[in-house]
Amino acid sequence: MRFLFFFKLAFLYVRRSFRSASILGFMVFSAVACLVFLSSLAVGTNDAMIRNSVGLFSGGVSVDGIQRIFDPVSLGIDGVQDVLVRNKCPARLNRGNRSEYVLLFGVDPDREKKYTSLWKKTVEGDYLKAGEREIFLSKPIAEKLGVSVGGRVGVGIGAEVPDATMAICGIYNTGISGLDQGVAFVPYGALPCDAEFYSAALFLEKSADAEKIASSLRSSTGEKFEIKAWPEFMPDLKQLIDLNFVSMSIVMILVFGIVSIGISCAFVIFILKNLREYGVMKAMGVLAVESSFYLFSQATILTVLASLSGAAAGALLATVFSRIGIDLTSLTSQNRYFAVSGFVYPRITPFSLCLPPVLAILFGLLGAVWPSVYIAREKAAEILRRI
Amino acid sequence: MIVAEGIYKHFRSGTRSIRALENVSLEVGRGEGLVISGKSGSGKTTLLHCLGGLEAPDKGQLLYDGIDLGSLSSKALSLFIRKNVGFVFQRSNLFSFLTVRENIAFPLELNDMGGAGKNRRIDKLLRDIGTPDLGPAFPHEISGGEMQRVAFARAIAHKPAVLLADEPTASLDTDTGRLLVELMISMSGEQKCAIIIASHDPDIVRMADKTLFIKDGKVEVLK
Repeated sequence: MRFLFFFKLAFLYVRRSFRSASILGFMVFSAVACLVFLSSLAVGTNDAMIRNSVGLFSGGVSVDGIQRIFDPVSLGIDGVQDVLVRNKCPARLNRGNRSEYVLLFGVDPDREKKYTSLWKKTVEGDYLKAGEREIFLSKPIAEKLGVSVGGRVGVGIGAEVPDATMAICGIYNTGISGLDQGVAFVPYGALPCDAEFYSAALFLEKSADAEKIASSLRSSTGEKFEIKAWPEFMPDLKQLIDLNFVSMSIVMILVFGIVSIGISCAFVIFILKNLREYGVMKAMGVLAVESSFYLFSQATILTVLASLSGAAAGALLATVFSRIGIDLTSLTSQNRYFAVSGFVYPRITPFSLCLPPVLAILFGLLGAVWPSVYIAREKAAEILRRI
Repeated sequence: MIVAEGIYKHFRSGTRSIRALENVSLEVGRGEGLVISGKSGSGKTTLLHCLGGLEAPDKGQLLYDGIDLGSLSSKALSLFIRKNVGFVFQRSNLFSFLTVRENIAFPLELNDMGGAGKNRRIDKLLRDIGTPDLGPAFPHEISGGEMQRVAFARAIAHKPAVLLADEPTASLDTDTGRLLVELMISMSGEQKCAIIIASHDPDIVRMADKTLFIKDGKVEVLK
């Protein structure tokens, strides 16, 4: 069997059947380019949801129950951009005969502003200022207490300690119940309790894997603290992202399944338009296995070239949009996972880059099955008699 | 020596059974020329296909130097055809995506004849058929007569034992057709290659060593 000869022959056929090869190649090229871009966009959408969710307040990894003597700098391992320390204590907010129980966070306003986006959700007044004795409340809590910016609330931490009074510097509204209900914020010095433990929010570098970092911290700190990566404290978001991934993969397979019917039909025409030549080849003693190899080589060469250039074009498009971003603000205003920004930055992953061309090549080869079986089984005399 | 003994072949068309060949026997020696003549639909092409191993007869025996083609497996038969048979068809013989040179190289490559020997053989064939400069041309760039000459060169490139030609002059004018057949007969003779031509052209019939007239699948006259 002369496989190299037939592969060379297939290459010549594809190269010299320029018009039909170009049309068929363009179908594969455009399908792969679109799917690489779409799957990168899906990854970017997931990233945007994670970025929006963890960037609002929590960070990518949260560490709770840290003893005062533990230096938070030790948490800044590889992949961690910064560590924000937060003190907290349960408190009761009073205004006249109204009261509301909250978890009061003592934060560093300047660093919080640098890494989180909660301050951007201010709907009235201003965010906290370091050194001031003021409080930052959510809109639902302010409404329950009947207070507004400039007003004052009493902050009590127990019957034995007298209530402190704090000015309301600003009111925020996120639309996320975890942040709008049951929490309030004050600068470090204004926290009326002296907590034995503190918590830390770890903000991660772009490419860092939150679960890997959490796992490294668990082993390095001897599991003394409660360390959670965002998928653990935001399981609904994790589930949504997993669902997005599965549905995108299904969509990709379905889209390619449909596109493949077109590709297969075009491929059958591409091959069978020269059916008589296959008859002549068989009359010259070409074996069935050689003619099948020849046809599969045509399919492989065409789909590999078209898929690789399609993947490159899709990747280029995704790279361009990953720089400038795609503004989906008007489409995401009601989505709580896009609380901060509706901009999506497509991101290419090995999966988003490889799956579409692999599917294209697979379906291209499937398209070559019928013609190659037909030609392998049909007698040369039959083909020559018919055409 | 090619020997066909008592060849029968029929085809099914819907519920009808069409008799294409009935008890056809013939013998052709190396270097000999045989013309199978008869009207359209008489069974010439079917006989040619049977002689070339493209079609298995329902009954009868085909022997090539004593080898019974009916006893060969499908793969062995293809390999036998590859080595021993050359075909020239009425039309669309050449591979459209290959140049003239690559078309002639095809059977040589199939039969493991590569390198300088292959190039020398192609150059000689191109000179012999009177088209030394046509090598780089594609089939659509040459005339019908040139196309048939190239198809003939390709059919004998690997020095087969038998050359089978099915109405090779049907799409050519009389002079071009006659010149082609003269070339085929002389070059096949030089190579000691048996040549069997199916044709209803009386000029071609006159050029043959032997002639077999066939009507409704039966041999009428063998001269």
